[in-house]
Amino acid sequence: MYKRLRDLTPLWRGSGVSQWGLAWRRLRRNKAALAGLAVVGIIGVMAIFQNYIALYPAKCLVGLQPQCPAASGRTDSWQIRVPPSLHDPFGTDGSGYDVYSQIVYGARPAFLVGIGATAISMALAILIGLVAGYAGGWVDNVLMRITEVFLVLPFFLILLVFLRVLEAGTGSGTGALWIIIAIIGVFSWSGAARIIRGEVLHVREFEYVAASRQIGSSARRILFRHLFPNVLHIIIVLATLQIAGSILTEAGVSFLGFGDTNTLTWGRLLTDASSNVKQAWWAGAFPGIFITLLVMGFNLLGNGLRDALDPRLRE
Amino acid sequence: MSIIKYVLRRALYLIPVFFGITLLVFSIERLAGDPIQLLTQLNPKINEAQRQALRHYFGLDKPVYAQYLLWLSELFMGDLGSSYAVYSGVSVNYLVATRVWTTLEIQLLGFVFSLVIAIPIGVLSARKRYSLLDVTITSSALVGTSIPIFFLGIVFILGFGYYLGWFPSGGAQSTIPSQYFLGDQTLDHIWHLTLPTAVYTFALLAPIVLLVRSSMLEVLRQDYILAARASGLSERTVIYKHALKNALIPIVTYIGLYFGGLLAGAPITETVFNWPGVGRLFVDATNVLDFPIVQGIVVLITLMTLVANIITDITYAYIDPRIRLE
Repeated sequence: MYKRLRDLTPLWRGSGVSQWGLAWRRLRRNKAALAGLAVVGIIGVMAIFQNYIALYPAKCLVGLQPQCPAASGRTDSWQIRVPPSLHDPFGTDGSGYDVYSQIVYGARPAFLVGIGATAISMALAILIGLVAGYAGGWVDNVLMRITEVFLVLPFFLILLVFLRVLEAGTGSGTGALWIIIAIIGVFSWSGAARIIRGEVLHVREFEYVAASRQIGSSARRILFRHLFPNVLHIIIVLATLQIAGSILTEAGVSFLGFGDTNTLTWGRLLTDASSNVKQAWWAGAFPGIFITLLVMGFNLLGNGLRDALDPRLRE
Repeated sequence: MSIIKYVLRRALYLIPVFFGITLLVFSIERLAGDPIQLLTQLNPKINEAQRQALRHYFGLDKPVYAQYLLWLSELFMGDLGSSYAVYSGVSVNYLVATRVWTTLEIQLLGFVFSLVIAIPIGVLSARKRYSLLDVTITSSALVGTSIPIFFLGIVFILGFGYYLGWFPSGGAQSTIPSQYFLGDQTLDHIWHLTLPTAVYTFALLAPIVLLVRSSMLEVLRQDYILAARASGLSERTVIYKHALKNALIPIVTYIGLYFGGLLAGAPITETVFNWPGVGRLFVDATNVLDFPIVQGIVVLITLMTLVANIITDITYAYIDPRIRLE
């Protein structure tokens, strides 16, 4: 009977479940969000255990090196553009690398870009959003003007210019992955900062904030003990969607030839394959599919989290 | 507050934003070092005296702040300067002006098509909420927002261009008149335009469908919809006359934001389809550090964005009287 009642009122508050617990219950009932979580999880496992999941070691030409033998029965030693088979599930590309293994090795950079760039942009967004919303007055005004500059800026174009300029300025090859991550992060915080600021403006009017101020709490304590935890749900949603966006941005950068040529990213795999896609569609199709899958996973998760965490959007 | 006063005040606010952006672009570029040195270092026939002459010609021998001020003063005269490298000496105004229309063709057509297709689909999806149709529409829209646009472009080129052979895989025009589609120049251009526009439409479609759907759902919950239904109006009238009008308000913001960034979205699509537009010009110019072109395009896009923002705000207040211009 007790169980039945709980099923009928899944958001029942009597059991002493925290707000986060309630959100998790809501998320658990959202099939789309769970699917997103599963995709992200599977690709995450791929990234962590890449050495066990890949068929061949990194940078190994199929058929040419003893560690990566060609399928038995194939006599040609240079195994380029071999169509998908049981031996090479996604085929081999125009250089003779196994596409499946390359994709496995590309999972780590994909997460690195998504999470790294998002960490930087969210750190900036949180700092600026919290301070602007809490301080108000001229501080708010100055910070919001700066935010507007970044909002209006054609982000992607500036990213390209920055990468090219750094490359020329340092005399090195194309930008290293961490530079791309840093620049995506530094230029993509503005939208989130504005949303966080808006939420802080709303939360800081609550009585518990006034009470805390009355008993003499420092500004830092109010910011990080009271305001931050109460805007955290929005930050989580924004961050998840930002991860998806950053991965897409990096793919675009790679496509235009401004990417890191020393790191195997899915964007680069797809770009390299696009020049001879007519001879070997598989070399481009699979990286493209994996980018789409991972981005979609994060998007689904982000949408699910928004439904689960933001009570005002709930029906 | 009157509209004129509002526009003036907003414009005043935007001045520091505009200067901030010009300063940012300018200083990012100067991080690269001396552009003449970079451009000529691989050319053994150029000597130091010629480099100096080039620097003088482009005004690069002046201090950096003077270069910035010179550029700004020219900017106010509507002069974006001359190209250093890609089309050395040609004015940026001319380079951009000759390509703007080619870019806008894809962008405007794609935008109109995507709106025309997305609004009915979004409405349908909201009306049949949680049905199989709705789930199909929302999940395809999600794929649409997650797929890299150049991947989609490659798929279209491969499918419709290479395997089916229906459309050319790139460029804006056949090279020789005898290859013109049906022997006509205009038809040939439209023929080339089809694939890039289709890809662009597809990419824009997905977010608009999701936006229309969620906005429509929000509106359908309102009391005035209940009142309209209770007064016995047909479902058609309720949806298209009462609900849709209000549901389209957030779409106006989207259109406004979109129009501002109209030219910014072009580099990838134009590169995939080898389309001779502003986006390609930007990528080529960035590659060879042709700063006047880069600066010019960024400034142009920034201005468009700022103006579009003001227009959006005004339209917004006009169609939704609950919103006051402040």
